[in-house]
Amino acid sequence: MELTKGKIVDMYRTMKLIRDFEANASRLFAEGKIPGFVHLYIGEEAIATGVCAGLNDDDYITSTHRGHGHIIAKGGDIKYMMAELYGKATGYCKGKGGSMHIADANKGILGANGIVGAGHNIAVGAGLSAKYRGTDQVCVCFFGDGSTNQGTFHEAMNLASIWKLPVIFVCENNLYGISMHQSKHQAIQDVADRAVAYNVPGVIVDGNDVFAVYEAATEAVVRARAGQGPTLIECKTYRHQGHFEGDPAIYKSSDEVSEWMAKDPIPRMVSYLLDSDILTEKEIEGIDEEISKELEEAIKFAEESPLPSLESIVEDIYTDIVEEVR
Amino acid sequence: MNTIGIIANPASGKDIRRLVSHATVVDNNEKVNIVKRIILAAQGAGVEKVYIMPDTFIIGYKVVEELTTSKELQIPVEILNMKIDGSVRDTIRATEIMEEKSIRCIVVLGGDGTSRAVAKSITCTPLISVSTGTNNVYPEMIEGTVVGMAAAAISTHMCDMDETCTRDKRIEIYKDGNLVDIALVDCVISKQTYIGSRAIWKSADIQKVVVSRAHPASIGFSSIVGVKLLVKPEDDYGASINVNSGENELMAPIAAGTMEAVRVSEPIKHKLGELFSLEMPYNGIIALDGEREIPFKKNQIFQFKITRDGPYRVNIRKTLESAQEKGFFIR
Repeated sequence: MELTKGKIVDMYRTMKLIRDFEANASRLFAEGKIPGFVHLYIGEEAIATGVCAGLNDDDYITSTHRGHGHIIAKGGDIKYMMAELYGKATGYCKGKGGSMHIADANKGILGANGIVGAGHNIAVGAGLSAKYRGTDQVCVCFFGDGSTNQGTFHEAMNLASIWKLPVIFVCENNLYGISMHQSKHQAIQDVADRAVAYNVPGVIVDGNDVFAVYEAATEAVVRARAGQGPTLIECKTYRHQGHFEGDPAIYKSSDEVSEWMAKDPIPRMVSYLLDSDILTEKEIEGIDEEISKELEEAIKFAEESPLPSLESIVEDIYTDIVEEVR
Repeated sequence: MNTIGIIANPASGKDIRRLVSHATVVDNNEKVNIVKRIILAAQGAGVEKVYIMPDTFIIGYKVVEELTTSKELQIPVEILNMKIDGSVRDTIRATEIMEEKSIRCIVVLGGDGTSRAVAKSITCTPLISVSTGTNNVYPEMIEGTVVGMAAAAISTHMCDMDETCTRDKRIEIYKDGNLVDIALVDCVISKQTYIGSRAIWKSADIQKVVVSRAHPASIGFSSIVGVKLLVKPEDDYGASINVNSGENELMAPIAAGTMEAVRVSEPIKHKLGELFSLEMPYNGIIALDGEREIPFKKNQIFQFKITRDGPYRVNIRKTLESAQEKGFFIR
């Protein structure tokens, strides 16, 4: 798929919006304005951006506890996201889900998920649905390296393969399952090695290079839409923060952090834009300012929104159409 | 001391070509197994010490642990004391250290790109290149046990080196008179403007291919020359060909399982040492041995030169034949 200048600029904008959204979430959490937990996507922006840049509006994604970036890249509205982080009634889950449960069915966002590995089989279900209905939709399943030790990963890969479902498994290998280095919990270094066991193509890309991610994801999408089944893409990346806000990440060595900070996807993208004469420094600053304003408006919207009413605590628990649970 | 060095690239054999073609998958635990077989064969054939490049999958340490546990390892194995960053720099640096230690034969496991990294710093040490990569023009698909025996024959000087080792060609790329990089097999001028997934597989994006060797059996873009003109490793010339222009339409195996029709010009031979220039017709990238490496802008000029300054490569079959004649296998 040819990348136009406009598309490349959009990619930068998405990456920067994710980065700044997360930086604000970090600040607001530290100020005590955001309740619950937040798990930030800082450092991994190229993955969600590169993958979602090749999706249609009606394609699906499943996300994780570290889901803000996926939702922004798939077109989620940052006003409703920020309101949800604040626990406000105008948020995506009416303020009752928080950071880890944001979903937007109209955008194909089947939800962030607080349970590690729970998105795998939801993605397979979405893929089965698309195939059953005869649409050309695909479902992207985002997940971390730690979750590939869960049975859900293996069940999902097996079913998706045997039924040739249009699912793209995107592993964001940031080297850590919470605080445990991958080398301490897996006998392999490359999650992509697991694909061969399910007769699925498994590839590795530089997850901090948005173009590398985009190329692999678009090829996998073409394959999925053509009825050739799932693909596993392992994106090597690094989360700059701890597992959650408040985690001091003392388990990471300073050498490791320095090495990965040098591979930060945002400065790499900026260098590319400048070196390739796609944007000038002034034009980049202009985009950054627009993003700042957009975020200020989202934060204002969240802060000015009401908290959920007391009676709403018993709403949205069971669907109305299931008589047995009334 | 009879020594060998082993460089195993944990990143080879996993790139996007598993998705866009039907390229071979080699997982890292199999690389551990291959290294074990090399060491056991080398040990059995007289090698006294093995050096291994450290890597992010700790292949060397796994080999030592497993062969020690099974009580099969009888010779010292030293993992080089060097800092690694999981990049091509590890391979380049490990080669330098092995040469400083006067190791008698280096075995490299990887694809064309890994051998190219070794070629950047190797000077005179005999090299055995084992394929665990993708298109594998330069490295050979060969059993580790055979590799271990050949490395041992070289290390113990139990073969005629003049017969069994040959100096390979390489392509040198210059800009403003400065050597900027090398390739062992091919340079491809591509319209792609970003490095991205590094691999190159779309013939529609290609403008020119420069080769040091070419054969129909060599999968990849060098085969576009090879299906029209054979350029053997021993020939004192290379060649170039324009792609997507010219009168000839050829079928070429540009990737594993991918035969593609390409329109090409007549290939041009380039003698060793001949410097030829290319003015770039658009913004793009030069891919070296299948990997996008050197971005360029329209109208920039690059020079290319094919030389015989590549690695001193071991012919494995000839080595074992020579060793057999010298009584290498007699106990």
